[in-house]
Parts: sequence; structure tokens; C-alpha cells
Amino acid sequence: MRNRVFIFCLLLAGAASIAFATDFAVVVNPANPVRELSLVELAKIFRAKTNTWSTGKSITIILRDPSSPEAKFVIEKVLGGTVDEGKVVLNDPSRKSTVPVVFAASDEDILKIVEGNAGAIGVIDVYNITGGVKVVKIDDKQPFDPGYTLKGH
Amino acid sequence: MKIRLFFIWMVVSVLMMGATVQAQDTASAPSASAGTAAGAPGVIPVTTSSIAAQRAYELGMVEREDRLFVDEGLEFFRQAVKEDPQFALGHATLGYFTADPREAKEESALAEKFVDKASPDEQLLVRWMNGTKDGDLVPAISAMNDLLAKYPNDKRLLNMTAEWLCSNQGASEHGEAILVRLLKSDPGYYPALNNLAYCYALSGEARLSPPLMDRYVAAIPNEPNPQDSYGEIMRILGDYPAALEHYQKALEINPNFNASQVGVASTYALMGDEKRARAQYLVAIKGTRERWTQVNYRILWALTYYRENKPQLAREEFRKVDAEAHLASLPVQEAEIHRTMALFDPDPASALKQLDDSRSDLSATQKVQLLPGDRDNELASILQTRAFIAASAGKLEVAEEALKLLSDMAENSRSIPVQKSYHSANGAVLFARGDYAGAIAELQEDAQNPLSLRLLAEAQAKAGKPADAQATLTTLAAISDERVETAFAVPQARAALKSDNPQTAQGEAH
Repeated sequence: MRNRVFIFCLLLAGAASIAFATDFAVVVNPANPVRELSLVELAKIFRAKTNTWSTGKSITIILRDPSSPEAKFVIEKVLGGTVDEGKVVLNDPSRKSTVPVVFAASDEDILKIVEGNAGAIGVIDVYNITGGVKVVKIDDKQPFDPGYTLKGH
Repeated sequence: MKIRLFFIWMVVSVLMMGATVQAQDTASAPSASAGTAAGAPGVIPVTTSSIAAQRAYELGMVEREDRLFVDEGLEFFRQAVKEDPQFALGHATLGYFTADPREAKEESALAEKFVDKASPDEQLLVRWMNGTKDGDLVPAISAMNDLLAKYPNDKRLLNMTAEWLCSNQGASEHGEAILVRLLKSDPGYYPALNNLAYCYALSGEARLSPPLMDRYVAAIPNEPNPQDSYGEIMRILGDYPAALEHYQKALEINPNFNASQVGVASTYALMGDEKRARAQYLVAIKGTRERWTQVNYRILWALTYYRENKPQLAREEFRKVDAEAHLASLPVQEAEIHRTMALFDPDPASALKQLDDSRSDLSATQKVQLLPGDRDNELASILQTRAFIAASAGKLEVAEEALKLLSDMAENSRSIPVQKSYHSANGAVLFARGDYAGAIAELQEDAQNPLSLRLLAEAQAKAGKPADAQATLTTLAAISDERVETAFAVPQARAALKSDNPQTAQGEAH
């Protein structure tokens, strides 16, 4: 019965893989007009080289704890280099007045912050997105698109 | 990748059909539904102008979601939309559950057409259901999570979404979390027991499944499906005697439960008792009325000859099944038959010719209204097999040609099978070029496919990573299912492990 459908779907879709694999979604407050960013633009935000949105709102970055595998992947992918190098960039005390970075304990916490802050940008597991946030395309692609850059393993 | 999603989906869907149609004859159905009926507090409302439609919808959910009687459930959903043709959620649910691609497309479109007549929460449910079908997953997931937050006690919603996460998306971590939470609030909700057991079994935690199966069996002891599921779980765990015992118990409850009949046959096949497997497959073939189901069972039957290393006989039988499939206008089965013959053909030139035939068969699918997505999945499978065989035979140009076609497909497709086929084929080409590190990275993208695993073990061995190669071979050797790829690659892996030499995993064929 359903068991067999279930089982073969799992086998074929790769669910049995123990390895971590998901797409990460870049999310902003729905009031933010931004719809897409390039990976280069996202990196500029991460490096605090861009500190406001087109609306003039200040940008705040919300990420998972950098020691988590999810954040490690995102930091390395966006900033290039190692996660330790990325941590130095994100923990730079001077950026608190430009593009502050908030490290949250869970995707739920990230969602709450982004929902309540019109200038916030966060990165979460795509399976946790809700209608309270807007998913931003990166390099003209959204999660699940072929070649999407924030596809984690 | 070899037995592809579509083919297996068809095989197993038919298994379900045969089983469920027969199961209707039994008088052992539970007297009450497992879920909470629509309209109850905390459950997504169902908006329809027809009481008869609402009742049919509820009965459909009882059959499909609670009892796992798929066909009966679908019939009730069809009845519901007949009673109220503007019943958006009814159309979406029918489109979501049906295995018929054409019906799925039509019903999803009708759901979209009438969605404004539904309540806002039903609209979210329609968005999720339709999104899972048309690949628009970002809004679908968003809608799903909004519903889960608003209806944390809607058991059917939780069970249904968790099943989708586990089975369709491979997001077992998310699916398991929902099911665990659900069972905490209602430990007796048996559909979730079944789903969670499968989720665990295929996410590397199979040891957690049998206790859930015990609870599932205890919850509805007079139903055959719990025993059938238990048999399936034990087979995944490689405990064939226990698998047979549970399948037999299911058949004792309902002798016409064809899913278990095929389970018995395939378990014997995996045990190497091919003669007995064939006899059991024949019983299953006799027990089904659908022509295409019979052809699918015949394919499994003929595969036993390859399993027992009688290639000449296997080829003869596969040719006969091919003629039957052709006569029945089943081009995808024809394509799969040729692909299977190619896989087991030790002569690469002849194997590649079989794959040409396979692609020709598939082109005939335009005549039978196969959806492009389904045809693409099968075509991707054929091309991946082509790349694998060509690369294994050192025919780099042929492999690259197949890869180029797959690459073009992957560029424009969100289909998981297409994407995985592309990565596997790319891995095969890189392997043939001697780029073992690149091959390893690509083949790991398709780590559930026995052929990719076999090539991965070889690439790891050649890259000077014998421990990794050994681990991959162990993973491969532990696979226990009905796929053609499993029949081809797993015995070689087991033999290689015995000889303690990963490179001997490459058998006589290819």
C-alpha cells in the first residue's frame, strides 16, 4: 500500500541520505520592496559595505549561531573563505553602528525577528519559511531552482 | 539511475490498487476514522455548498489518510467534486492524491479556478497541494507552515504534510519532527505510526521502526496493511524471515491483499530463492485485473532470471514481456524493459543499442498523453544509464553525449530525479576522465542509487580512499529493495565485500 510508494520515493528522492542537505532561503520583511539580490550584493551586506535598503531602512542581519553547520555553510558560501574568516567579518565590533549581526538560536527566532523588523534580512532552512516573511531571489534564482547557489549539503 | 521514480511509482501504485480494491471485500474495517473530521474544532474547515460533497470528502479522508485504502479514497473525492463541481479543496485533494498525471493536472487547474470560493485557510491548503504538484514549492511550503502554525492539532494535516516532507522532499528531519509531535499528543494515531516508521527506516534510524510497527499492528489488528508495512520494514532491515512472516500474516487477514503477495515474492527474490519468487509473482499476477499491473509484475518476474544469473533466459523472457507491453500500449514499461536488458548486457555496444530502443519506446509516449515531467524523469533515467554504461566501457564520447542531453534537461528542470541523474552521469564522465575527486563529489549527489554507489566506491578506491570505498560498499550491500539497479549492483557489492576488494565491485557486465 502506501508504504511501498513511500519507500521508493524515499529511496529515489534521496531521503535516506543522512548527510545534511537543504536549500537555504534568504528572507526579508514583507514590507521590504527588495525581490532579488545577487550573491555579490548579499556579500556586500554581509561585509557591511552596503548598510541600507533602497527605502533608507538600516539593514540588520539575522543568522543562526555561526558554530552551527547551517550557518557555517551560509557564511562560507556568501563570504567565501573559511567560516573563521567569516566570523571575524561578522563579529567586527565596528559594524554594530552600520550593519549589526544578530545570531539567533533557531530558524523560528530568525523568523520572529525578520517579521518584526522592516530592515532585517535572515537566512533560514527553506522548509521553515512562512507567510510572515518574503523570500528573496539570489542571482535570479529561488530555492529549488536548478543551480540555486545556497543549496547546502 | 535506473529504476526510476516514474516506473517504480507506477509499479507500486498498481500494487496499491490491486491490494486496495480487494481489501474492500473484507469486513474488517475500523469502525471509526483515526483523524478528526473536518468541521471539528482545530481542524481546517471545508467549504462546500453540498452536504453530500462534504460527506464524500470526509469519507475520502478516512479511506485515504486513515485506512490507507487509496482507491476507495480517490473514489470518494471524485464523488465529492461531482456533487459540488466548484469545490476547490475537493479538486485540489483529488489532484494531490491521484496517481494519474492527467487527472492531477486537470483537478489542480479546477482547484485554482474555484479557489476564491474557499475560505482563506482552505486557499492555503490548495496552494500547498497544487504547489507540490506544479513544483512551485516556495509558496507551497510557506502556506504549509502557516497552516501548521494555525492548526497544530489537525492530525490529518500534520500527517499529510509530514508524509510529503519525508517521501517527496527527502526532508525527513522536518517530517519526523512533525510526526513525533503528533504522536506525543495522540499516541494512538496509527497513520502517523506507519509514516514515522518509514521515515526512520529510510533516514538511517531503522532500528527505531519496529517498535512503531508493533504499535501500528496493535492499533488495528484486523487490517492487513500494518502487517504488510511491518514486512516491508523488516525487509529494509535485511531480516527476510521476519519480513515473510509479516507478509504472510497480512495475507492471512486478507488473502487478496496483493501488496503482501508481491512482498512475499520479492522477499524470496532478494533471498536468492528465485524459483519460489517466480511462483509467488505468478500468484500476484493472477490476483490483479489491471493489464499494466500485470506487466509490471511480469517485469519483476522476469528479473528473477537475471538475479539467478541466467542471462539468456532472462533476455528471452524480457522480450516476451516487451511484446506484451507493446500490445498493451505501455511505452514506459517498454522503455524500462530495454533499459533493464541494457544494464545486464555484458556487451556495451549491444547495451547501448538497447538504450536506443528504450528512448524510441519513450518517444511513443506522446501518443498516450504522458505528462512531460514524467517523460523527462524516465528519459533522464535512460540517459543516466547510457552515461554509466558508456563510461564503464571507456566510451567517453558516448558518455559525454548523454551527459550533454542531461545537462540541458537539468538546466530547466526542478525535478529531483532529473537533477540526480545529471549529477550521476557527470560523475560517470569524470570517472572515465580519471578525475576521481570530481567524480566522488558528483556521485555523492545521487547516493541512493546503487549504480552511483558502485561507481562511487570505485572512484574512492582509485582516489586512494579505501576506507571510504569500503563504507560505500557496505552501504550499497545493505540495500534491500526491488529496483533493477539493486538487482544489478548489490550482489556485486556483497561479493566484493567478501573478497575485501572494493575494485572487484565491477562485475562481468560493464
